[in-house]
Amino acid sequence: MFQKKSIQQVMDVLREPDMSKQIVHWKTIEPREAVSVPIPESLHSNIQSALKKRGISSLYIHQLSAYEIALRQESFVAVTPTASGKTLCYNLPVLQEVANNPEARALYLFPTKALAQDQKSEINELIDEMGLEIKSYTYDGDTPANIRQVVRKAGNIVMTNPDMLHAAVLPHHTKWVALFENLKYVVIDELHTYRGVFGSHVANVIRRLKRICNFYGSDPIFICTSATIANPKELAEQLTGNPMTLINNNGAPAGRKHFLFYNPPVVNKPLNVRRSATLEARNLAKLFLENHIQTIVFARSRVRVEILLTYLQELVKKEFGTKSIQGYRGGYLPKQRRAIEKGLRNGDVMGVVSTNALELGVDIGQLHACILTGYPGSIASAWQQAGRAGRRQDESVVILVASSSPLDQYVIQNPDYFFERSPESARMNPDNLIILVDHLKCAAYELPFQENEKFGDQEIEDVLEFLVDEQVLHKRGKHFYWMNDSFPAHNISLRSASQENVIIIDQSNVADVKVIGEMDRFSSMTLLHEEAIYLHQGTQYQVEKLDYEEKKAYVREVDVDYFTDANLAVTLNVLEVDKETKNEQNAKAYGDVMVVAKATIFKKIKFETHDNIGSGPIHLPEEELHTSATWLTFHNENLSEEKLEAGLLGIAHVLRHVAPLFVMCDANDLHVVPQVKAVHNQQPTIFIYDRYPGGIGLSEKVYGSWDNVLDQALSMIEKCPCEKGCPSCTGTLEEGSNSKALAVKLIAQIKGVPHHVDSK
Amino acid sequence: MSIQNKLKRLKKHMAGPVSTEVLSHQSAIEKGNDKIIDHSEYWDKFGATPYFFEDDYCIIRKVEYPLDHMWGRRYRFSDVKEAVRRWQDTMAAHPLNAKDLDASQLLFFDTETTGLSGGAGNTIFMLGMSQIKEDHVLVNQFFLPGPGSEVALYHYFLNHVKELRNLVTYNGKSFDWPQVKTRHTLIRDYVPSLPEFGHFDLLHGARRLWKESLPAVKLSVVEKEILGVNRIHDTPGYLAPMLYFQYCNEGDPSLLEGVFQHNEWDVLSLITLYTHMSTLVQGKGIATERETFEAARWFEALNEHDRAIAFYNEVLATGTSLQHQSKKSLASLYKKQNKIDVSVRYWQELIQENHLDEEPAIELSKYYEHAQKDYEKALDFAVQGFTIWKGKKRLVKRKEEQERLAFAKRIERLEQRINQYS
Repeated sequence: MFQKKSIQQVMDVLREPDMSKQIVHWKTIEPREAVSVPIPESLHSNIQSALKKRGISSLYIHQLSAYEIALRQESFVAVTPTASGKTLCYNLPVLQEVANNPEARALYLFPTKALAQDQKSEINELIDEMGLEIKSYTYDGDTPANIRQVVRKAGNIVMTNPDMLHAAVLPHHTKWVALFENLKYVVIDELHTYRGVFGSHVANVIRRLKRICNFYGSDPIFICTSATIANPKELAEQLTGNPMTLINNNGAPAGRKHFLFYNPPVVNKPLNVRRSATLEARNLAKLFLENHIQTIVFARSRVRVEILLTYLQELVKKEFGTKSIQGYRGGYLPKQRRAIEKGLRNGDVMGVVSTNALELGVDIGQLHACILTGYPGSIASAWQQAGRAGRRQDESVVILVASSSPLDQYVIQNPDYFFERSPESARMNPDNLIILVDHLKCAAYELPFQENEKFGDQEIEDVLEFLVDEQVLHKRGKHFYWMNDSFPAHNISLRSASQENVIIIDQSNVADVKVIGEMDRFSSMTLLHEEAIYLHQGTQYQVEKLDYEEKKAYVREVDVDYFTDANLAVTLNVLEVDKETKNEQNAKAYGDVMVVAKATIFKKIKFETHDNIGSGPIHLPEEELHTSATWLTFHNENLSEEKLEAGLLGIAHVLRHVAPLFVMCDANDLHVVPQVKAVHNQQPTIFIYDRYPGGIGLSEKVYGSWDNVLDQALSMIEKCPCEKGCPSCTGTLEEGSNSKALAVKLIAQIKGVPHHVDSK
Repeated sequence: MSIQNKLKRLKKHMAGPVSTEVLSHQSAIEKGNDKIIDHSEYWDKFGATPYFFEDDYCIIRKVEYPLDHMWGRRYRFSDVKEAVRRWQDTMAAHPLNAKDLDASQLLFFDTETTGLSGGAGNTIFMLGMSQIKEDHVLVNQFFLPGPGSEVALYHYFLNHVKELRNLVTYNGKSFDWPQVKTRHTLIRDYVPSLPEFGHFDLLHGARRLWKESLPAVKLSVVEKEILGVNRIHDTPGYLAPMLYFQYCNEGDPSLLEGVFQHNEWDVLSLITLYTHMSTLVQGKGIATERETFEAARWFEALNEHDRAIAFYNEVLATGTSLQHQSKKSLASLYKKQNKIDVSVRYWQELIQENHLDEEPAIELSKYYEHAQKDYEKALDFAVQGFTIWKGKKRLVKRKEEQERLAFAKRIERLEQRINQYS
């Protein structure tokens, strides 16, 4: 009879030789004791008694630090792992202020609507116990009109998201006089999510917020909380423009955690191809799930999530029914997501397969096991995902299953890189010109600009004059006034450079046509083209029509044994060179480029075997992207064009993984494009560009460290055990070519170091 | 790359089409901001004068009309006096009721703005109002000569128009007045505070009276179709923002002549519209059957039963197409007034006249069940109602199920009663 195993027993299974030979690293993180301090005397007596009623008789040391720093009127950022009681870091100072001054106001910003709603219920429980008249409300798109007025006038604590602040609060600030006149605290939760384009937008929203506060005579303290990243203080200061104190003396306890690195077995020795990480992750997940151990499986893409979900639902169908395994990713509708979160908390859902959407502090309780299907691309992200497993008392286990990609193989073979190195820095560029101009429009709409006024620390005279030329602003006397009949915030989305999403419409049932999800425009080129198989909650749909103009994709349910994968062709034009260095071997440059991307063809790939079983063309218009890039050009003296191309492709394949490591960003934020003859100089060139219009400073960073980047690439290629190039280093080409040797030779040529490798 | 070049290149990545682009071909004119006003000659000729406040000014334009001037086909301006006077004799609660007021206390008010968005960046550049004076109608227009002069504008407005309790507007409740409040909030440290204000918003009533008969209840449509006001060479309201932007850029005030005119006509039409709507609900003047019927419904909604009954009876006496509806409403009103016998008579008539409406049958079934305890008769009517109901086509599924259940329950209950007592 099948006996359910405990988590310890499952770990014993993992220690058996069969398994353990694939586990290349087993790190045990010892439990940590709590560091507690008494509740401070100065805390309002009602708050003290409320805490006691909720069974809290002492504080963790970091919670006390937060309280004391806030009382000194300093802005701070608290770095808090999952389940360390971060909410008290901001709720204590805020409630203290409101308890002493009923007119006081606080604004809480959460990156999503769902998080705000979670937090409202949490703080309201505390407020109820306090027995004081303190009103806290969420303010989002779902707030009914009659409640909105109450929130604006009387809400002590208003919980919202940056999008709402941007489009609904700031442009209507005259309706929020009570809030802005009395604003004492601005709380920014999940600080680490405010990076890249989104962070750059939000930093500008905060500049606008502070400008309006200044108009009404308030100067709020900023409280941020963040998951572990390398530069929380810097990021918080960039985002808020305030000097920050860092709190990182976490005093919360944690149970023992096992962190396993699992490398799937090699199935093709010469090509160094390993078993698919997806399939291995499936087997590992099964081991936990069949023993009723609540498990979360992270996958790197939406498609992977859906594939894994299909596999796992099939596996456990008999035991618990498919409902107990759920998918979770952007593109599901909010109601669906709430139901899944609840199911995880109350145990109805045994397993969940998720993209990084669940990295955020969405409350799903703490699970026992966590499986990462492939390295998530950054140390910070990996720890965030790993944090989903782990309880204060019990043991938990995290398994990283490596894919064949160079980055995964590098990480799994160098555990020190992962465990010893600090996580990545979160980067943003609030002064990205496009983003800045967008928000200057909004800011001018909200309040006129004065001559010589700065925006944050930015000089903006030039931009204001530009907007006058564009007849968006009007200069009269010493002021710049908004002079347009539009509402600028409505045309500006904080989330994405491409403005509008494609709606996905299921027309399987003619009588009940319904919207099942949405997707950003750029992704839709490769995921929602006609004939694409779109997977949603494990169900397959075929796209019948993509109306790109109207941004609608019409899909119908199908049952096929393949998924689709689309190619994106990219061309690059150099528009202007800002920086350049040359030597005999190569030229490095940084500047502005225009990228034109076009989806070309798609392939049909069979499940399980992953064979290519067909293909077809994609007819969609080009998408243009103006951005910043760095590029490396060199003279080709002795290689045929064919070999040159093979070598360049090989180098690009490695760089795609090495370059993000260097500038510490997500692999999706930087793109690498090799060209045998670049359009602008007819020379072999490798481009690395920022994925967002106007650039966010990543390629500029690469420009400064090209030599280092090339060294790392070279060492990664040379250390790879394969013979002629494999997916883990230079990628695989057609039979017979040796991209590995070619890449090594080319790098040597570029660097000018004599290096003799036979290129046959 | 220079900021200017970058900006030009990145232009198409920036959000939003700029709707004023069509007007952007001419260059702006440099202009000073002295004590002397720009284009004083023009303003003078236009009958407008500056009002100076500290370093700034706004423009005030006044226009007078004789009281007996005909506005539209039906009324003279002076007719508003009679309409207001008639309100003095009525006790009825009605949103148009101007009891204890004199016509000269009403302030017919409309604004012109730089957009419709209703946020902090939307500026009012003209406040227009008309009033009944001793022997003439006075139109006052306060104009913002440029953004940044709002302190002067509102200083004048709030010091010279102290009484804002009797504004008459068209959609002022949700647009013009909140907009005034927004602008005032931005400069509240420099100008007097906003006084209490009260409101007759004619949009609400216009919707009630004419939603069924007009394609849209915009002021321009109501004015033309109902009041018979024909504007010649009117500048449509939606052009006002663009013309104002062009004026700001080019400095030529004659661009705005049409906007002044448009606003002037708007505030004059408000006088006549108020006159007409009051006259209608006072039961005077000539009303269509639909208007009489809607006036009745309006009073019914206000719980003014006697007046509603009078108007419905008017429809019964003179109308042709709304009699069934009116009779139903009368039956229900009489029921509320405890005159159930009258109601019963109406319901019986209704059943005989029209075989497509189950409601009178339901009402009669209720009457016989609860008041008369005549369950046989009650069952008869319930079944009759059910038959009529089943013959109809319905659109809303969920409601259909509810209604079916209600019938089934009623019939079942009545059958039980009959069994009990037999």
